[in-house]
Amino acid sequence: MTPLTILLTLSTFLFTLGLLAVLTRRNAILILVGIELMLNAANVNFIAFWRYGPPDPDLTGPLFVLFSIAIAAAEAAVGLALILMVFRHTRSTDLNRLDSLHG
Amino acid sequence: MVWTRPIGRIGRIFSLSYLSMTPLLILSPLILLAALGAVWKARPVHAALLLALSLALIAVLYLTIGADFIGLVQFMVYVGAVAVLIVFSLLITRPGDEAEELARRPRSVVTGLVCTLPVLWVLVHVVSRLGNLPAGAVENPVFSVAHVGQVLFTRYAPAVLVVGVLLTAVMIGAALFAREPGKKPQCPSDS
Repeated sequence: MTPLTILLTLSTFLFTLGLLAVLTRRNAILILVGIELMLNAANVNFIAFWRYGPPDPDLTGPLFVLFSIAIAAAEAAVGLALILMVFRHTRSTDLNRLDSLHG
Repeated sequence: MVWTRPIGRIGRIFSLSYLSMTPLLILSPLILLAALGAVWKARPVHAALLLALSLALIAVLYLTIGADFIGLVQFMVYVGAVAVLIVFSLLITRPGDEAEELARRPRSVVTGLVCTLPVLWVLVHVVSRLGNLPAGAVENPVFSVAHVGQVLFTRYAPAVLVVGVLLTAVMIGAALFAREPGKKPQCPSDS
């Protein structure tokens, strides 16, 4: 068992847990929590492959993670603003109640 | 920057010695336990705080394996901003009671597992076949913040500009979304 395998196993389970959260939760904010977990699993993969992979003077892995973190922060800000807007209309963040487009 | 060096050196000592895997073996179960709590806890605030714990432990993991700068960024952005943002939105929205969530749980967990386990199986299968990789023997050296800056503003300069535009757009958009409709924004000096 190498460090690379450990990190990849960690990120595998982290991604699965995030997916489970997205599929089982009904609260929109907690679905966002699951999305954050999945993004972090991807970041762990990038760092693992950079650290224990072929030589990389351009730092592709860490910089990809840097951009990914910036975009994840943007996504969280817009997502939470949208959830706040929905909450103002329906007084609820339960996604099962957002069925006004349901024919 | 000088202050990132000691952590990096510790990381290097750990990774070069026989003990290289000990911090990973300690941190990984902790991260997974915190993430499991974030998925499982019925009370939303507990879930959000456990997410913050999990993200902080991932930052520590980055520090341990030598990605110091990324670890610090992770700590500042994820733990300092995203997790706090999530906790505050939970405070604002007053989520429903957890009894409803617990009543719905058996069904939703079965559905979730049916959809998740195939994904888990594929990922574990792929990771278990990694033995064929030629890499693994080498370890990239710990990088300095100066190196990050140099690469960031030469090779990746277009991407930095795009991310800057994205963040500006997001800031304006989020402020527009979160504004009370019908209320005129007021300068504090006007009131």
